[in-house]
Amino acid sequence: MCRYLLLAIAALSVLAQSPPRFPLGELPPGKVLLVAQPHHDDHTTDYGMGGVIARFMEAGYKGYYVRASNDEKDGSHSYGQNDIINLKETRDGVAVLGMSDVISLNWRNDFMNPIPLNELREQLIFLIRKYRPDVVLGHNPWEHYQKNPDHRNVARALVEAYWMAGLDTVHPEHFLLGVKPHAAAHFYGKGRLDWGLGQISNMAFELNESQVAKKERAIAAHRNVYHNPSVKRSVQVQLAAEGKYLPEFESVSDDGASDLYLHWWMNWNSRDIGRQAGVKYAEDLYHMDDLYHLPGLKAYVKANARELR
Amino acid sequence: MSVARRRFLQIGVGGMFGAVAGKTVLVVATDARWLECAGGTVAKRIEDGAPAVLVRVGNDEKDAWELTREEAAWRNRTEAEAAAKLLGIGSVIPLGYQSSELQAVPHTTIRDRLILLIRRYRPATLIIPNPHAEHDRNLDSYYVGAAAEDAWHCARFPNFLPAANAEGLKPFVVPEVYYYAPPLDPRRREPESTATFVPQPVRVDISASFAKKLRAAQAMRTYQRNLAMRLKERLTAQGRRLPLLDQVTDASVDKLVEENLRGLGVLCAEGSEYKMAEEFRHAGISYGIPSKYLR
Repeated sequence: MCRYLLLAIAALSVLAQSPPRFPLGELPPGKVLLVAQPHHDDHTTDYGMGGVIARFMEAGYKGYYVRASNDEKDGSHSYGQNDIINLKETRDGVAVLGMSDVISLNWRNDFMNPIPLNELREQLIFLIRKYRPDVVLGHNPWEHYQKNPDHRNVARALVEAYWMAGLDTVHPEHFLLGVKPHAAAHFYGKGRLDWGLGQISNMAFELNESQVAKKERAIAAHRNVYHNPSVKRSVQVQLAAEGKYLPEFESVSDDGASDLYLHWWMNWNSRDIGRQAGVKYAEDLYHMDDLYHLPGLKAYVKANARELR
Repeated sequence: MSVARRRFLQIGVGGMFGAVAGKTVLVVATDARWLECAGGTVAKRIEDGAPAVLVRVGNDEKDAWELTREEAAWRNRTEAEAAAKLLGIGSVIPLGYQSSELQAVPHTTIRDRLILLIRRYRPATLIIPNPHAEHDRNLDSYYVGAAAEDAWHCARFPNFLPAANAEGLKPFVVPEVYYYAPPLDPRRREPESTATFVPQPVRVDISASFAKKLRAAQAMRTYQRNLAMRLKERLTAQGRRLPLLDQVTDASVDKLVEENLRGLGVLCAEGSEYKMAEEFRHAGISYGIPSKYLR
């Protein structure tokens, strides 16, 4: 008995000392952030990047959100109405995070598998050359098990645009419009770890209370999709069948319960990743810097690079 | 034994008996990437007596510093052929697709051209980009890897390219495949859940063939100069400099290439008994035939 107790204590102490799953990263220096994702709400859902975006904005970055699809199927209205409402709510949501503008490319929602990715890539290359971001955020293109084809395809177009925008051999006709080649220094990709397969993140950004709160308010701005007053009755009925109830739902309206539900969801996922990064709140990402594609040279550059004279 | 299983084994074993002894067919998207990932292994196999054929799917028209795409494509092709010759590769077959535009090429178009080449050369080994691994920011390796893997599978069935079949290019099973990818994904060395039917991680000692790999990589002057200039450009943008690249000359580019290949070799050898290595996923005989049937 005593031996088992000692073994359990030893195992717990090993667990307690094991390093966090995600190393914490620092914000890279820069001025402009470009986030390109297919949908109106991707910056905050899929356990999101809303807190990270808020952190970039609080650090003085100027931010642009590229919505690649038209979101026509997201919501209970007709296609056209959903598009209009979701675009407005994208603007509301990213404004909460502190971003400056939304550029909508309006590719057809949930029909992005067969679209010409080179055409989408060209649009993104042009936007990178126009806004000249230091940091590009999107979905992780190498998360092969990403189930949503819109996420997968926009990520693939984006990661190619990220480096090809810097090549003067690519779309030289853009230069007639006054833009110049531009290579962003950092790419951060978001994956869905809860699906359990595919490539995992390699770092996390710590968030503070304010950034988590902004993330919660940003997703709440997408009322067409996330405002769900029926959640209160639904949860109450399910709990009642088990002889239980949720005290927090007793004192709020149906609308309030919907907001509370979003608050719990965003707060939980920020805490969950925070726990895996050894802090209270965090969001995880896959980071590629501009030397990432040269793994053989990283150590050499680190050892030999000097400050410019 | 079921009919299906018996047929499966007949196809597998028959294919191996028909293979040209030791011959390797390499299918690559871009020139320098395959050399970085697999050049030492190919050189070693050739030194051991296995002839090799290189299939260049992309034309590398964008990999150049201050050259037009046409000139870049021409120089990169000439230099890729010179590099291949240095390794001892017997034939280079350019398919000529525009690099970084492969998304617009139907998967089946590339696949069918590769099926034809597999049936023509009947290799013992295929070396292809790993479509299940990460290739940082260039998806050409993904598209080519997916088409090559599909070609490997389909080349064995007579209902693919039946016209070629009628012309004497018979269905053929390549007994083993090596998948290459740059050493990026932190989880790349995790073994798969089972050793049967799933490509397993392997490492190849390239210490003896490194010098040859290096000379071949240095022969790709257009690509390597582009790499050096873009690295210098990026460091300058960050307020940094590499003294080696203060003057970008042939000698400084050669030194940079050496540092790059040494760095990759050491990175791939980490945790193994080798000093320099290359990493692959390997689908060998256990991939096609469970060991209990081989006894």
